Amino acid sequence: MSCNPSIALILNAHLPFVRHPEYPKFLEEDWLFESISESYLPLLRMFNRLKSDKIPFKMTISLSPTLCCMLTDSVLQERFIQFMERHIELGEKEVERCTKEQPEFLEMAQFYLDQSRQNLSDYQDKYHNNILEGFKVLETSGHLELATTAATHAYLPLYKDYPTAINAQVELGVQSFLTTFGHLPKGFWLPECGYYPELEDTLKYHGISWFQTASQSMLLSPDKVEYGTYRPVHCPNGVAAFPRDFQATSLVWSNATGYPADKNYREFYRDIGYDLPMEYIKEYIHEPSVRVFTGYKYWAITGQTDQKVPYQRDKAQKRIAEHAENFLYNLQKKAESLEKTMHKAPLFTMGYDAELFGHWWFEGIDWLEQVIRQSAEKGMNSFVSPSTFLNKEGSTLQTARPAFSSWGQGGYSAVWLDGSNAWSYQHIHKAIERMEELSVRFSDQISLKQRFLNQAAREVLLAMASDWPFILFNKSSTEYAQKRIGDHLKNFNVVYQNMCKNAVNTEWLVKAEKRDIIFSDIDYNIFNPER
Amino acid sequence: MILINIDSLSTTELQYIAQQEQLDDWKSLDREELIDALEEAFGEQDDEVTSAQKGKVHRNRYCNSLTDYRGDQQKVNDLPGVEQLPENYLDTSIHLLQRDPQWAYAYWSLSTASQLMVFGEDGQQPSTLFLRVQQSNLSDGTVKTFDIEVSVSDHQWNINLPDTGCSYLVDLCWRDKKGNEMSLAQSKSIETYPAYWQEHLDDLIEDRDLYLTHFSALVTKEGDIVDNAVIRDLAQHLSKGVL
Repeated sequence: MSCNPSIALILNAHLPFVRHPEYPKFLEEDWLFESISESYLPLLRMFNRLKSDKIPFKMTISLSPTLCCMLTDSVLQERFIQFMERHIELGEKEVERCTKEQPEFLEMAQFYLDQSRQNLSDYQDKYHNNILEGFKVLETSGHLELATTAATHAYLPLYKDYPTAINAQVELGVQSFLTTFGHLPKGFWLPECGYYPELEDTLKYHGISWFQTASQSMLLSPDKVEYGTYRPVHCPNGVAAFPRDFQATSLVWSNATGYPADKNYREFYRDIGYDLPMEYIKEYIHEPSVRVFTGYKYWAITGQTDQKVPYQRDKAQKRIAEHAENFLYNLQKKAESLEKTMHKAPLFTMGYDAELFGHWWFEGIDWLEQVIRQSAEKGMNSFVSPSTFLNKEGSTLQTARPAFSSWGQGGYSAVWLDGSNAWSYQHIHKAIERMEELSVRFSDQISLKQRFLNQAAREVLLAMASDWPFILFNKSSTEYAQKRIGDHLKNFNVVYQNMCKNAVNTEWLVKAEKRDIIFSDIDYNIFNPER
Repeated sequence: MILINIDSLSTTELQYIAQQEQLDDWKSLDREELIDALEEAFGEQDDEVTSAQKGKVHRNRYCNSLTDYRGDQQKVNDLPGVEQLPENYLDTSIHLLQRDPQWAYAYWSLSTASQLMVFGEDGQQPSTLFLRVQQSNLSDGTVKTFDIEVSVSDHQWNINLPDTGCSYLVDLCWRDKKGNEMSLAQSKSIETYPAYWQEHLDDLIEDRDLYLTHFSALVTKEGDIVDNAVIRDLAQHLSKGVL
């Protein structure tokens, strides 16, 4: 190859904090279980295959504090095991049913069953219920760079008038990473790529060296950015901003023309949870008779029709190899033309939700593996992490200011601030103001009052999560999202009103501490603007 | 997300969604009618989005309806001692949030004392509430203002930001029957910065290398431009209206 493009692949592994031990089964907890079984465990297996085959690679994964908390929570760990056991039981039934009734689906039924057994075995025997250990080992071996993000994945531009809240989101994101992985992070995934000018000052204060931004943040910069999205820039304070490459990202991300839309790939929306008779499936969906995805999906995308053809793994595998080759070809060609104009090798920064691979795009993890293997075969050795890139080329970067931007619809804040969710900000902002007030009026409390105030700080942070306004915007699980924002704010008000009377509601406190256990070592004084 | 397409759903799935969305006649509808009815049910969208964007929004929603529908049986209970959130807070303040370079969102509240002062004890005092938007040019410091009249029942407003390169802040103001005006609260400011390349478009048009470096990354191989109004405007200028 005449030109060796550098590729920084960054995956954002994040889920909102959803944990309801007060119910025997809770629908939204499946978000976590599906992500572990369909994305995180298969990703770890793929990385370990590459590692044992001595294939060089470097990838970056941001693991959000809410996700890390759930992955290390014993209640959810136990529930994941139960989830997998049900999944395996369904798989065994499916293999039997398909053998007799639908042999065209047998191969996939057996595949899912084998994968589920492997998942459970990896989870229990290899990782002892804590899959973060798997990521840590790969980081130690130099294959992964792990990064953090905002404490509850808040969309930060809408809190820029509240520096204590911004600081709390960043500081707790960094602290949580330190507690989980034993060292400070260098990278910070900006939730939803949400950036506003001078946000980097808070990041720098907490020792962050780099963050990623939306593609348009460079073309819309007030400064004359030299290399567009093809090189990171240093912000005026020295923290590096890595802009996403929209064109390269779209090869995968586009829902119309991206690789995942190939007709040979598995159709996500055809699932036996919806297709099979209620009598057969009811034990494996939600009570009472709420049909949900089970993960057993046998059809190929085929086209815009309901007349789907059965999924064939061998055909899909062939397309995966072709798509990996096409991806590398496109990047190489682009790099060649860019190098002529830039007189430097470009860097392609691509950021994706980790759950895209495996969960949404079934073949995504195999595709990633193929991209890395083919790249190694061609001697490209292209994969870098932002930190390795900065170590090598940090001194050559231009200084420029990225523009206000996000990766959401319209490129700014419209997703998180529209008619469906704007109502929440007057309440969340007020809670932040009141939390600041409490931190000043009742600084350095001990015992019950300290616990009470710490819980108030947790509730404010949980209300700030970007997931709730996003869900309201998308009009998906709106009832749950609305309830969650309201609950955290109402919970906060319990503390505020009681503290104004110099009282502690212990019944509330004990229950709230059990429900919202995140950030066990939080110090509410973090909201004190005088500190 | 990806691969989201209503046409891919089976008729059983469509019927299931229609049932959850409480469409009255879902049992009697054939496949095409179900799709039309669901598109209509999900289609009450913000008029600002383009039709192409609407298509994407719809598909996202079907995805999430299918994935996340939780039924009415499982509610999250309140913890003991919680009370409903107030509709408004009893202090006088106004906040301004930037939605994009063209629009901001303001919300405000009035304390009881402010309400008494503005509308009198019986609430009948003839007064006017309005928002005074102050626009300061960041390069030459010139200041312009414009007013938006609001009613006592309003607590939020979307405010157009006419120019980039400006700082904006909003005063919540009161005018009495004699025409005397007073600011009750002032927001913090927001800034809109002009993009360098917006002001140097000719350089991009004349230099193919510059164009390749700066603009091509924002267009897919199929020619779709990144979803951003400013970039679309730039593209219009660069293509002389062809795009």
